[in-house]
Amino acid sequence: MSLARLPLIFLAAMLVQWWWMTHFTLFGLAPQVLLVLTVALAARQGALAAMFCGFSWGLFLDIMSPRLFGANALALTLIAYGTGSVRRQIDMAGLAPQSLVVVSMTWAYFLLLGFLGLVFDPAKTFFWVGWPAFLIDPFYNCALTAAVFAAWLPPRWEHHRGMA
Amino acid sequence: MHREARIANYALAVLSALSLILLSLHLSAPVQAFKACVTYVLNPVAYYGAKGSERFSNVPANVKDLLAADMENRLMREKIKQAQWVETESESLKVENQRLRAALGLKAPQLRSPTWAHVTERDPLHWYRSVMIDAGAGQGLTVNAPVLGTQGGRLVAVGRVVEVRANASIVLLLSDELSSVAAYAASPSTETPRSFEGLLQGQGNARLRMNYLIPDATIEKGDMVYTSPTSATFPPDVLIGTVTQIYPPDQELEWKSVAVAPAADASRLEEVLILKIQSEAAEAPKLSQTAPEPDSAQIPEAAP
Repeated sequence: MSLARLPLIFLAAMLVQWWWMTHFTLFGLAPQVLLVLTVALAARQGALAAMFCGFSWGLFLDIMSPRLFGANALALTLIAYGTGSVRRQIDMAGLAPQSLVVVSMTWAYFLLLGFLGLVFDPAKTFFWVGWPAFLIDPFYNCALTAAVFAAWLPPRWEHHRGMA
Repeated sequence: MHREARIANYALAVLSALSLILLSLHLSAPVQAFKACVTYVLNPVAYYGAKGSERFSNVPANVKDLLAADMENRLMREKIKQAQWVETESESLKVENQRLRAALGLKAPQLRSPTWAHVTERDPLHWYRSVMIDAGAGQGLTVNAPVLGTQGGRLVAVGRVVEVRANASIVLLLSDELSSVAAYAASPSTETPRSFEGLLQGQGNARLRMNYLIPDATIEKGDMVYTSPTSATFPPDVLIGTVTQIYPPDQELEWKSVAVAPAADASRLEEVLILKIQSEAAEAPKLSQTAPEPDSAQIPEAAP
């Protein structure tokens, strides 16, 4: 990815996340676009770029919520780091490993936000996202991962598109 | 350890520490200032996103309006074609009417031409009394010109011009106490006049009162009230309103009266039609061109 495209994707991702959460929820559920992109970025570019993007995207999510400023930033930073670590162990270029990581990272994200609420919120309450979001959102994110994968193929997959 | 992994570890430590500071010291001034900065930088994304979304959300409605306008335009073009024929026929009949009137020795009625104007101002303290419109002497308006509105696709009486300025005029509404107009009632089903004329007067409120009806006039609720041919201001047969109440006869008065709801709702007036009185001098050459005066020697004088 060229350096010129990164700011564009960075801004467009926030816009898409905001638009989806505001106008396109299905039964009150919306995918975590920024989480999916953080994982995709970490899988393709490595943990470092993904951590900085994830941290900034997390701040964007944090300013839209009145409580726990910094929670999403920490969660997406850790997700980027975790994905980057996994990338060193297994091949993350394919859709299946990325989808698996997204599903597991979504659950980890929800649980981490809950625990951060328990520790840092003045009310000391576990921030529970609710069973519908907890059970459906990982697969919603998984579907979005497939879309992101199709739109942003890794270089070694490009020749498959050419053959098709 | 790879260099990249080492840098990633440092970055993780820094970003995590920063996040934990933000989480734990969220009420401190530096964190609040940082939050304000982040909001200042990133909030435009949501702000301009909302603006763009609003613009795009209007697109279907705008396209729908555009299609409706196109269909209406086609319909109007057809109507204009028909109206051109009606206008030609009307001109021909007007000329014939003038010629016959002249032959019978009848005085020609005042010729009027319409002008549309917008209601620009309405005084809340004089809601049922007057409105200001954006046409005046510059548009050829004169004092006492009748003002009509539209209701359900037909013209209805609204009032008359009482003050003319350069590009604005004041219209005295029929509902004003100083307004009065000769009127007659007609059955709504047949619209045949019942020949009961009276004087319709404003009351300063939403209702009008039709006075001086003969005591044995059979007038009913729901009857339509129109301007009379004897009205000095309005053209005849313009709808004024509907009879809503028959007042009980007063023994001391030799006439009965009814309440009338005006057809033109004063609170909803947006555009009005003013009938300008055309000067005969302006109309005369046109008539002389289109219809030569018949030979008076060949047509017998009408009995006065």
